[in-house]
Amino acid sequence: MADAGDDSDLQLRKFQKELSAGTVSLALLAVLGSAAEPMYGYQIAKRLESLDGVLSGKQSALYPVLRNLSAAGLLDSHVEPSVAGPPRRYYRITEAGRLTLQQWTAAWRATRDSVDAVLEGGNP
Amino acid sequence: MSSIRMNLHRPPQSIPEYLEQLRQSLAGADPALVQDALYDAEEYLRSELAEQPGKSEAEVIASVASSYGAPDEVAEIYRDTEVKVQTALRPPAPKPRSSLIGRFFGVAADPRTYASLFYMVLSLATGIFYFTWVVTGLSVSLGLVVVLVGIPLLILFFGSVRLLSLVEGRLVEVMLGERMPRRPLYAARGRSWLQRIGDMFTDVRTWSTLFYLLLMLPLGIVYFTINVTLLSMSLSLIAAPLALFPGLHLNVWMFGIDIPNQAPWLLPLVSAVGVLLLFASLHLFRAIGRMHGSIAKHLLVKTAQYS
Repeated sequence: MADAGDDSDLQLRKFQKELSAGTVSLALLAVLGSAAEPMYGYQIAKRLESLDGVLSGKQSALYPVLRNLSAAGLLDSHVEPSVAGPPRRYYRITEAGRLTLQQWTAAWRATRDSVDAVLEGGNP
Repeated sequence: MSSIRMNLHRPPQSIPEYLEQLRQSLAGADPALVQDALYDAEEYLRSELAEQPGKSEAEVIASVASSYGAPDEVAEIYRDTEVKVQTALRPPAPKPRSSLIGRFFGVAADPRTYASLFYMVLSLATGIFYFTWVVTGLSVSLGLVVVLVGIPLLILFFGSVRLLSLVEGRLVEVMLGERMPRRPLYAARGRSWLQRIGDMFTDVRTWSTLFYLLLMLPLGIVYFTINVTLLSMSLSLIAAPLALFPGLHLNVWMFGIDIPNQAPWLLPLVSAVGVLLLFASLHLFRAIGRMHGSIAKHLLVKTAQYS
């Protein structure tokens, strides 16, 4: 019994991890797309944390994604010194990023709708 | 496994301890990735510490384990995520061809080849600049040390060398495809100004970076020469049959024979040799690019610290 419980728990966590791997880039772009000012890593992490559920894993997973989005030209970044100690890297969405965000949003909605349709169809 | 045992043994109490455990958990990973991971973790931990002024460092770090992750969890995330996201956002590499001929000519379809080619041309310019910068900076500041003005100048110069190292790292990563750090090293905290300056001089990487910057001049000259010689030679061989055009005065002398006049049937052969030479040179360029990437990795990234 305990084994089966552990097993399904493991499956659930694996599924959540896969889900978040696919959606975390979209969530990051969306957060920065709606931000009025450039944000730094910690702020973005806290913002996502307050929206429960988007990020199933740890916040450390955000940083590599931020960096890669920036390397792909979807985000702009610059460093500013801070009072707290280390200089902070601020991120801002670029025009290319906004365009990508629109496309990804459409793709996400289409996927969500079709998954919903399948789930409801199986359970009338 | 050893990292998990270590964490059970003793959770980190301070930021340096956390970073040390993270570094140990990342042992064996790409040193550039380690440098970035440490930078990110330090930024997060210090921000968290600044947000919660009432709490002690140990309490903050204990709470961070559930939000940011314990060192070994973070290490696993970085090993995992970086690779995955990077491959997702990058254009796919061309499929490796199976046949020998396909592999020989396939070099022309590899974007790395052309990036290496341009890097080799560019390296003459960057090599001259780095060399001049290092020689001027070192001699001016060392010369002025006796009148004390040289000491701040020397410190500024070493700072500029770190910056150049990061810039060159970006060039190497973009053009040669070798993963290089995207973030600088954090200066050690909790050390006095004098100690930090001392660290700059005792840091192996400072000296290996200086060596690399000086080395770039001879390497740049060699790369540029190889590049220009091979390209012009193979392109002119390819163009040899143009000598048959009536209005064109092109001399093709080879082994003492005036080919267009004495043996025009050899011209297509000369052209074919040119094509072979061109593709062989492209292979050479790509190989030099790879080799240079690993030179840069060894001299600019502090490998010893992470192994």
